[in-house]
Amino acid sequence: MNGATRAFTAGIRITVILALAAASSVVFAQGSQEPVPGAPRNVSVPEVREFSLANGLKVLVVRRAGSPLVSVQMSMAAGAAQERSSQAGLARMSAELLTKGTRKRSASEIASAVEYLGGSLTSSSSWTSAELQLSVTSDKLDEAFSIFAESLLEPSFSQAEVDLLKAQTADGLAYSLSQPGFLGSYAASAFSFGEHPAGGSLKSIEGIDRDAVIGFARRFFAPNRSTLIFVGDIDEKKARTLSARHLAKWRRGPAVPAPGTPRIGLAQRTPDDGAMVRRILVIDLPNSGQASVSFNRRVGEGRLADPMARAARRTANPEYYVASVLNSVLGGGYSSRLNQEIRIKRGLSYGAGSSFAWRSDGSNFSTRTQTKNESAAEVVSLVADELAKLRDSEIGGLELIPRKAVLTGGFGRSLETNREIAVQIGALYPLGLGAGELNSYIPKIDAVEARAVKAFAARNMAGFDVIVVGDQSVFGEELRRRFPKTMITAVKAAELDISTLR
Amino acid sequence: MSLSRFALSGMLLVVGAMAASAQVKVAPIKFEERVLGNGMRVVSVRDTSSPTVSIHVLYMVGGKHDPIGRSGFAHMFEHMMFKSTKNMPNEKLDRLTEDVGGWNNASTREDFTNYYEVVPSNHLEVLLWAEADRMVNLNVDEKNFSSERDVVKEEYRQSVLSQPYGKLFYTLLNERNYLQHPYRRGVIGNLEELGAATPADAELFYRQFYRPDNATLIVVGDFDQSQFDGWVDKYFGGIKAPEGRLPAEPADEPERTEARRYEETAPNVPFPAVAISYLAPPSESDDIPALRVAETIMSGGASSRLYESLVRSQQVAQEAAFNADIRRQKGLLSLYAIASEGKTSPMLESALMAEITKMKNSPVSERELQKAKNLLISSEISYRETNDGKANAIEQALAYRGSVAAVNDSVVRIQNVTAADVMRVMNRYFNDSGRVVIHYNQAPTGGDR
Repeated sequence: MNGATRAFTAGIRITVILALAAASSVVFAQGSQEPVPGAPRNVSVPEVREFSLANGLKVLVVRRAGSPLVSVQMSMAAGAAQERSSQAGLARMSAELLTKGTRKRSASEIASAVEYLGGSLTSSSSWTSAELQLSVTSDKLDEAFSIFAESLLEPSFSQAEVDLLKAQTADGLAYSLSQPGFLGSYAASAFSFGEHPAGGSLKSIEGIDRDAVIGFARRFFAPNRSTLIFVGDIDEKKARTLSARHLAKWRRGPAVPAPGTPRIGLAQRTPDDGAMVRRILVIDLPNSGQASVSFNRRVGEGRLADPMARAARRTANPEYYVASVLNSVLGGGYSSRLNQEIRIKRGLSYGAGSSFAWRSDGSNFSTRTQTKNESAAEVVSLVADELAKLRDSEIGGLELIPRKAVLTGGFGRSLETNREIAVQIGALYPLGLGAGELNSYIPKIDAVEARAVKAFAARNMAGFDVIVVGDQSVFGEELRRRFPKTMITAVKAAELDISTLR
Repeated sequence: MSLSRFALSGMLLVVGAMAASAQVKVAPIKFEERVLGNGMRVVSVRDTSSPTVSIHVLYMVGGKHDPIGRSGFAHMFEHMMFKSTKNMPNEKLDRLTEDVGGWNNASTREDFTNYYEVVPSNHLEVLLWAEADRMVNLNVDEKNFSSERDVVKEEYRQSVLSQPYGKLFYTLLNERNYLQHPYRRGVIGNLEELGAATPADAELFYRQFYRPDNATLIVVGDFDQSQFDGWVDKYFGGIKAPEGRLPAEPADEPERTEARRYEETAPNVPFPAVAISYLAPPSESDDIPALRVAETIMSGGASSRLYESLVRSQQVAQEAAFNADIRRQKGLLSLYAIASEGKTSPMLESALMAEITKMKNSPVSERELQKAKNLLISSEISYRETNDGKANAIEQALAYRGSVAAVNDSVVRIQNVTAADVMRVMNRYFNDSGRVVIHYNQAPTGGDR
């Protein structure tokens, strides 16, 4: 960078300051040449030991020395994909209720017992899975693991806890619905992806009762749908002892179809005219401090090569890696194209990005950013331009190599803590993949070619649903001016009914 | 409250604790420390468990040093530090980190600013060169300045204006609690004063605060000590010791003599909220460990008192917490709660006050005390699992307690806290005459929700 490009407004005072800055740089001359990096060292993927119990539970062990901690995670194929949309939120509530009381202990007693051990016991769920997670120091593992197993095998799902969680879930949702970014992704779940919001709607949560929770848990929280992962200061022998002692008596659940029966229709939908923007949904949130802008599209290429294959024959879809590289170029990480164009070059946002949410048989692709209401329409155009570039031109090597490094480097960092390793491994099994996938990630990303990314974009980067949430009185007119031929629907945030969105 | 160069984070804090216990040994961090001739401190910890290195540069300049009429300036300046220097084009730091599979960020707090990178360890020398370069050779041009100022304004809109409780936690809490100290402005500042800032302000600020004797380099990870020392001498050793002294610390906030109450509103606030705050002692006070234990007993985990009482038992709140926001000068001991459906902010206030009174009037049980200590110690252990976590721990020890060695006595200090200590600090700092209460509700003319 040439110092002459500096353009200050005026003033003698400024000149003096510049002179000082220049003087201090003179003494720096010795180190002004950028050094060259040394030889790289290898990232090591942890060794994973695997065994099974007679009831079908898979158990994985990753031993790591260094700190006296153990992370334990039970990943169950029991996510929102397993609930009916009229009962949206059931999977998450069922998972959360696991830690809210057993036949022997109340919710408070569970929390107090685990926290007295300095540990934490939490549960969560996503579209594809539910997780129960324990973190504790290794000297307290025996005691903590017995509470972990008790939560899983003997939950009481008491009426009082179901009622309290329903009220808390509804409050939490009302809180989230006051934020433009959340409203956008909430609407996209039904409007663009043909799914439903994984956390539920105010209406669906109201309809969930104790019987529904018990029924869900009985069908889906079962050893034959689950993988138990130990990571940290623990060896295989100890893991075998603990799982046999506490989980051998866990009874198999009914055989239920694998997750991800392919949907027909939605993903195959292609725009007649190849238009980038198929339709625009405006969710009006008066007095909103910012507008959220997202582009959304269901992509027909999923995490598995053949989602209908038998369990033992499932393999990763090679297009997963291609899509990951595309995303890294477009909207993954700080220097991706969307953040370059929207934040770095134009100062229109604090951040812009994109992501694929993977299902076994497809994926939900979204871009997202927030900007002041005045620039919402401009940002819609900027995002559309960037998506078109992916279709129209091949990514050059100078851009492709660093964007792959973002992925492989981020992958390496995601294996730095016990908890993160458990999360990485846990995400694979409910989709039907195995820990071996960790070993192939880096070489498969490195092998992705620019033309494959362009071909993927040609198939999938068109016909988007754009969702803008914010103060319509500020941006509505310009949006119509910029997209005169596009169907624009507007709905007030307070009147948004997710069950009517298609 | 800290602001990062980039982040997407929710306002509601997840009350979750990590694992461990009092019996488990917390291995001390073995560090090397030296001070260069120009006054810059260098701390290094060799750990070869992963082929990466974490690099932090800590500058003791934060939101409280914003120039008069330029609230939010220190944070905006932090953004400028990623722009061009004499030897680097704009965003070169991203090329040196992100493009090789690494990562960088920076954050500005009330008392300090830090810049940090995690990179494959063979890139350490390049990053040392770059950090030294931006310590002395930054360019501030009008174009970069105005576009980055727009980014910070969007950060303000995203964090403060489009989160229902953003205004309460980012701005009102500071503004209402401090009458004199610059902490009252909050790190994020405000749109008007951000708009008033000029490149000339940036040049002056850079010269005043970005100097080697106000900086510490902390490196943790996979490196060779003598090679590292040589690189430090080569790239930082030559930076000239600045003339003149650093600006003095602002005078601390005086003790309060009278309680104050505020009724505040904002648009799109779905549930009423309340915040009750008292002034905290400065970070070097010996009362901090007992306050941390009190904070954990009231607010750490699902068996904490506030969660048990306000959220589970009375069901007046969907979230209730106590945050001991400790700063170099008097910080804030804040209890806050967000109402559940149909509940009001006066109900929250009286429920929180009842919990404060309990803590003041009767000693906590031995079991509660031990549980809090176990949670605090386990969170220390898990915090230090990574190179970056260790670098952070060192940075906090230096910034808040004035010495690197302090990183290794935090566990003993927690273990030594007694139930009597907890009761004593509750009575010392939670005085009726020192209380500031903020009620926060939906504005009458606000949005539709």
